[in-house]
Amino acid sequence: MKANLTLFFLAVFLVAVWAGRDWPAIAKIMPVYVAAIPGLILVVIQLYREATGWETRRGRSGGMEMDEVQEVKLDKQTEFRRTLQYFGWFIGGAVGIWLLGIVIALPLLVLLYTLIEGREKWMTSLVAAGCTYLLIWGLFEYMLESRWPQGLLFG
Amino acid sequence: MEISLFDAAAKGFLNLLHLQVLVAMLIGVSIGTFTAVAPQGLGMPLVYAIALPIVIKWEPVTGIALLIGASSVSAICAAYLPILFGIPGGSGSQATVLDGYPMGKRGEARRALGASFMAGGMGCLIGTFTLALAIPAARPLIYLMGSPELFVVMLWGLSMVAVLAGRRPIKGLIAAALGLLLATVGQQAQSGVMRFVFDQPYLLDGISISIIALAMFGIPSALDLALTKLGVEQKAVPLKGKLLDGVKDTLRNWWLVLRCSFVGVWVGIVPGLGSQVVDWLAYGHAAQSCKGGNFGKGDVRGVIAPESANDAKDGGDLVTTLLLGFPQGVVTALFIVALLAWGFVPGPEMVKKNPELIYSVVWLQGISGIVGTLIGFFLAAQLAKLAEVRYTFMVPIMFIFILMGAFSVNRDPVDLLVVIAFGVLGYFMRRYGYPRPAMILGLVLGDLMEKYLYRSVASYGFSWLQRPAVIILLILATASFVFTVRGRMKSSQKASSSTLGGAMARTADES
Repeated sequence: MKANLTLFFLAVFLVAVWAGRDWPAIAKIMPVYVAAIPGLILVVIQLYREATGWETRRGRSGGMEMDEVQEVKLDKQTEFRRTLQYFGWFIGGAVGIWLLGIVIALPLLVLLYTLIEGREKWMTSLVAAGCTYLLIWGLFEYMLESRWPQGLLFG
Repeated sequence: MEISLFDAAAKGFLNLLHLQVLVAMLIGVSIGTFTAVAPQGLGMPLVYAIALPIVIKWEPVTGIALLIGASSVSAICAAYLPILFGIPGGSGSQATVLDGYPMGKRGEARRALGASFMAGGMGCLIGTFTLALAIPAARPLIYLMGSPELFVVMLWGLSMVAVLAGRRPIKGLIAAALGLLLATVGQQAQSGVMRFVFDQPYLLDGISISIIALAMFGIPSALDLALTKLGVEQKAVPLKGKLLDGVKDTLRNWWLVLRCSFVGVWVGIVPGLGSQVVDWLAYGHAAQSCKGGNFGKGDVRGVIAPESANDAKDGGDLVTTLLLGFPQGVVTALFIVALLAWGFVPGPEMVKKNPELIYSVVWLQGISGIVGTLIGFFLAAQLAKLAEVRYTFMVPIMFIFILMGAFSVNRDPVDLLVVIAFGVLGYFMRRYGYPRPAMILGLVLGDLMEKYLYRSVASYGFSWLQRPAVIILLILATASFVFTVRGRMKSSQKASSSTLGGAMARTADES
């Protein structure tokens, strides 16, 4: 899987080099010569390191860990299931905004998430959804008169 | 008749001693605090846009009090989101997430908030002080920075990838290259070439940095809560530490605050750098220069550095806005609109004709900073309790912040697609050790670097490399890069010798 992400980067840089092949030099400098070609070379080096287990053998270079590292300790199946569920909810929320508009979709997302995923009481979920509605409609649409776009179904 | 600067400063202060001015400032401070805590859809540009038609009918100083009060506090209180939710705050407060969120997860939200407010307040005061001092001297300094100098500064910023890549240099460079590549999406201003647009009108203007940062940091942070089912299956780490600990941390690191504040002021003063880079440059500087750091895992200095720089930047912004008359962003542009509506022309003319008004702004900036810091302390103790709320509420709250924040950028459904795509990318990058900060740095600097390189070559050919300021900056950039790489190599040697030592010890045990 780790190699898959590196392969994805390889594909991105290859597409960038290919897409920029006919551009004038001025448009090419940054995306092709500064980003894509060096990126391509680095990805190849990284793939070699992954294929030969170089990193594991040498250990990571010194220095600090500058980004959070996933530290959740769950069995693989549970982690996979929960990750899929999580992204399912998130994508569902985004699709809801597209179809229903943000004013309906976000309170609905809060209601369903707290009710189904969180197994909260009906009343608690309704209050949470009501507060969300008040924030989105009351603050933005009513008080600030900042209109959110209608959903596809109502547009 | 021209008055002395001292008289102008005194008169500027006396202008504030009216009830309506103080009330307007307090209203502004409250709006700014609310804006910092509310979802990203309610940014300071929107507040200014809404307030402008109202305040221009007021007395100038009263209107300025509301506007300056709001913007100054909004920056100070911007650390709530990164520390409590792991969601990058508005631009200028994104790097705080790197250490603020790990601190929040460890139960040290109060300490992190205390440090951020204290650093923010100090940064704001340093920025204000610099603004006051700059009034007689800023102009020649600002005109010294042309496109060639700015390009070298960007290059210097990019060299910080060596720091932000952390323990994974190759992966960090790949991430930075990806960031640089993404920065070039859209129509190139200089040549008109459509780059990586693939016939999609959405991509013509490029992809918004704030959507990418929101997705890449916010979505994986919320996922952590959903995975561990925080508050249901896994108990939330009880809150420990006090706000005062954060204050003490900041005072202990006063030298870092001072350095990062000057980074902030400088970014504010130099036209064209913008608030997107200030926190990353300060964070990179802190990670580069602080010894014995635990950056990326909840080092309080990783909160102090970006927050002090971000708040000091406002003072720098005002230097160019008031003394030269050109805006540094949407907010300062709207501020200039308000000044023009009152009949003041910002720039040299205003310095000459209305110095007392400039000093009123200086005083307001400083006082708002102090009030904002106090309000931050007052609210922090309550807001820190959010870190203990169970995931069933926290995850949907974070969904609201992320989806609303992303959708409010262009109000285009494609924004939602982009936020999902970069959320997934952020998840995999974190999982497989590709440092996301390096990518964001590439993204932030890429566009500016290209712009300044083009302007330098177009204006001076290659003779821009001979400009004295360019040479000095290049030497400084190279020296800082070499020191960083040397430091990394030393710690690498230490790590490998300790690994070797460990392996030998294990072999001895086994034998």
